Amino acid sequence: MKSLGNWRWNPVKGRYEDTLPSAPRGTGEISAIEAFANKTILLLGGTGFVGKVLLAMVLDRFPELKHLVIQVRRKKNVSGEERFYSEVLQSPPLRAIVERMGGEGVVREKVRVVEGDLDQRLCGISSEDTEQLKGKVDIVVNLAGVVDFDPPVNESFETNVYGVKHLIELVELLAAKLVHVSTSYVAGKKDGRIPEDTPIVGYFPMRDALRGKQFSVDDEIHWYERFVEETRATRASNPRPVRERLREGGMKRADDWGWTNTYTYTKSIGEQLIARTPGLTYAIVRPAIVESSLRFPFPGWNEGFTTSAPLVLMGGEGVKHWPVRKNSPLEVIPVDLVAAGILIVTAAVLCEKSRTVYHLASADTNPIMLQRLVAFLGMNARYKYKHKKSGNLLSNWRKAYVETRLVTVEELQAKRAGWHSRMDVIHAVLTLAKTIFGDDRVAPYLKKLRDKRRQIRQQEVTLDKFLPFMIHNSFIFETGNIREAAGMLTNEDLKRLQWDPETIDWADYWVNIHTKGIEKWIRPMFTASRKTAS
Amino acid sequence: MKMISFTTKLINFVLTLINFTTKLVKFAITLTSNGHQSGQLSEENADHQADQPACYNNPRFMNKAAFYDLDGTLLSCNLVTTHAYYARNERNMLIGAYQFAKVLFSVPGLFLTDLYSRSHFNIVSYGAYRGMHRDRLVGLADDLFEVTLKPSIFAGAEELVKETRDRGYRNVLVTGTPDFTLRPIALHFGIEDVICNYLEFKDHIATGHMHKPVLAANQKAVAIREYAAREAIDLGQSCAFSDSSADVPMLTAVGNPVATNPTRRLRRIALRNNWPILELRETPSKLPSFLRAAKVL
Repeated sequence: MKSLGNWRWNPVKGRYEDTLPSAPRGTGEISAIEAFANKTILLLGGTGFVGKVLLAMVLDRFPELKHLVIQVRRKKNVSGEERFYSEVLQSPPLRAIVERMGGEGVVREKVRVVEGDLDQRLCGISSEDTEQLKGKVDIVVNLAGVVDFDPPVNESFETNVYGVKHLIELVELLAAKLVHVSTSYVAGKKDGRIPEDTPIVGYFPMRDALRGKQFSVDDEIHWYERFVEETRATRASNPRPVRERLREGGMKRADDWGWTNTYTYTKSIGEQLIARTPGLTYAIVRPAIVESSLRFPFPGWNEGFTTSAPLVLMGGEGVKHWPVRKNSPLEVIPVDLVAAGILIVTAAVLCEKSRTVYHLASADTNPIMLQRLVAFLGMNARYKYKHKKSGNLLSNWRKAYVETRLVTVEELQAKRAGWHSRMDVIHAVLTLAKTIFGDDRVAPYLKKLRDKRRQIRQQEVTLDKFLPFMIHNSFIFETGNIREAAGMLTNEDLKRLQWDPETIDWADYWVNIHTKGIEKWIRPMFTASRKTAS
Repeated sequence: MKMISFTTKLINFVLTLINFTTKLVKFAITLTSNGHQSGQLSEENADHQADQPACYNNPRFMNKAAFYDLDGTLLSCNLVTTHAYYARNERNMLIGAYQFAKVLFSVPGLFLTDLYSRSHFNIVSYGAYRGMHRDRLVGLADDLFEVTLKPSIFAGAEELVKETRDRGYRNVLVTGTPDFTLRPIALHFGIEDVICNYLEFKDHIATGHMHKPVLAANQKAVAIREYAAREAIDLGQSCAFSDSSADVPMLTAVGNPVATNPTRRLRRIALRNNWPILELRETPSKLPSFLRAAKVL
């Protein structure tokens, strides 16, 4: 625990309170309220996890804003507008906000929905719409992106690279400014502190190791087009499915340059496309791992699959061996802080006082170490299995009272091999028993074993996906720029937009907010998707 | 496994037994000091139970608060069982056993200190947290509440808190119990605010000390006055609930003090000052709650 100073945690309100009235903090160089007054924002990707919270925050906190244009993708036979009003506005984070504002009618006056798709030219916005919007949109905020870590390379490229190309076209046509949301992990396989002022164009993580090699966006696009074409052409001759080969090809290419996965690789290309466009006023926001909300719209809101949710759920299932690096932080940041950060950057860009790159992360000021998280995961299991009366009592006891352990990758692999061989033995015994006792007596046990195997394999896959963030690399993203921007706001702004990861009480956040949020919002989605998969 | 759970149960039983005996001795001491009054008191008690607390007759004011003591007033939060729970759920079983033993051996010392002074007792008892990780204290608080504290809430406590809220009082807990244990309790009762103690941590490990000023006895009254000044609360309109004579300064600080489940000494003071007396416990005997504590551990 850092020195608390005047701050005291209020266990009832679940927040820190200043025991002494705090001195004004903002210098007032940027006024977000003035910056947003009578301005029009075009929001791309407002239907995602961060998008919804950002939307709620803008609607709730900035009634001064003139117009908000939201691009929503059409889904089969549901139009974008319909989707927005029936799906997005009815979602848990927005429902209460809309009610507080005075119903859907008020939103309709302020918000305009345009249909569009990043995969098409000009982001798929129709020519009538662009004619109407031309010169009226002041700033475009892009939150859209494919966030899967290892999708087939074409999916990732279409949105994260070509999508950005279309975005630049659109921004230039509208003569607007741009805030582009990327990810901190474009830094790739690196260790230690990641600065914000590294030049963007031509960046690749292995630059120090591969001296003399040049990274060029055009070459990558060229490679991609050829690779996809070749892979598809050899569909007949190669027995492996095209999708799998595209997936592997993307990961291989990313790995060659030193990126952790296709996602960060394509996101970095997208950034470089923006950075090399002359005459564009832009800022790039790089959030770290986005997690459940801390305060807004309510504590614990979460719907992201590519957060630490799979890990938390695995902890709840009783996984005990965690391959993590000791004394290395996990860069998590609550979603409402991300939304506030994006709005602060948007205000800074509108006032033309912005910098190029903004990391939104926590470890710079208030790190949460991985071994603590592993202990939290164990506690979650203890909670769940301690009072459980059904199921195997011995296994419940083990899940509740055997604590989580830190292991190395080698130890984990040895453990896995052990489990698998043991399960092979059980399988053999059961098959033998089947011939003796008959199919119907043994079949339930065989099914149980199969389920167990599938669960373990699924856990292994999930864990392997997260390894770059847990053991291979240890990042601390510097967040000087966002702190500087937040310090330039007026005091009135700071009441509406809080950037304060340094005050997060991680124990309270993780146990009482994040874990409960995931169990409430993600667990049902997760089990439902698993059921349909099997 | 059975063996371990049996041993823990045995230890717990011994622990409860020690605790019970300490209470018994204390009880005997108070009996000998004012034995002749006890019979008379129980008769008066019956009259007072029928009465409504004085603060209930006040008109609705928003700038008034109901200050609650926790231990003994709203629930019987046995300090030793709380410590023992945290110790038993340590990350490492060996460390857990060590912490548990520490709690066990601290009992006689605690008993002696409590006889001497309540505030010293508080200070010494927090020493039992030394070496525990903050994450576990915060993380296990909910489970502790479900297992140990919730069964020991007095029958009328929830109703009382609801009543004061309905009458426009802001409910505030004023207690020496540390913040992490309080959270689920406050959420359960729907209490609006707390004034409590904060354990000191160094690198997330409890040092066994508390942040100054430590809340006990006189300090409670000071804290209430500070709180009232900060939140613009009229102390004359406010009421306070407590069970122990150590909280007399706090009770006298407000306009409408209520002796709730009072100890003998407080009962005497309450009668002398004409304070209302409220009994929230279903049974005046303490035995069942102790047995319950032994069962849940």
